[in-house]
Amino acid sequence: MGAVTYPDANVTEFVNNRMIPVRLLSDAQPYAKDFNIKWTPSIITLDESGTEHHRIVGFLPPEEFIPAMMLGIAKVNFDLDRFNEALTELEKIIAEYPKSKATPEAIYLQGVSGYKSTKDPKPLKAAYEKLHAEYPDSEWAARALPYRLIS
Amino acid sequence: MAEIKWEKEMDAALARAKAEKKPILLDFFNPN
Repeated sequence: MGAVTYPDANVTEFVNNRMIPVRLLSDAQPYAKDFNIKWTPSIITLDESGTEHHRIVGFLPPEEFIPAMMLGIAKVNFDLDRFNEALTELEKIIAEYPKSKATPEAIYLQGVSGYKSTKDPKPLKAAYEKLHAEYPDSEWAARALPYRLIS
Repeated sequence: MAEIKWEKEMDAALARAKAEKKPILLDFFNPN
């Protein structure tokens, strides 16, 4: 990550503008034990109080790193019931990174966020339809399969 | 060339996260 992804200009700009970056050695205590670190790189998204919401283990190239971090930010907002903020982030991932491996999960979470913020199940069915049409082989298409029955 | 402005201590990162209302990117790395 230090040789390829972090020096990338777009990655640098994104991280410096959108997140608070902190780097620790993989054996730094008590954090390595607290976060159960077994391999590197382990890249974790935390909320402002230090609670984990998203984790990536292993290398990501620059073009995958940014949408993966955006998904982490969306998950922070989703988990804290800030659905409008989550939806804003998810819509950006879907629009700007349609080929990213993070995008099918973003579509799924968009459907769930839409449902939880409105109690209207239509966003769940819309998520299934988009996943089925555009990402039929993704695990998230399979996870959304029950939503095909929503009328 | 711009670089990522890494914090090196968790307490400093948490303080900045609260002040700036931003999530934290925590990277555990092995320099070897």
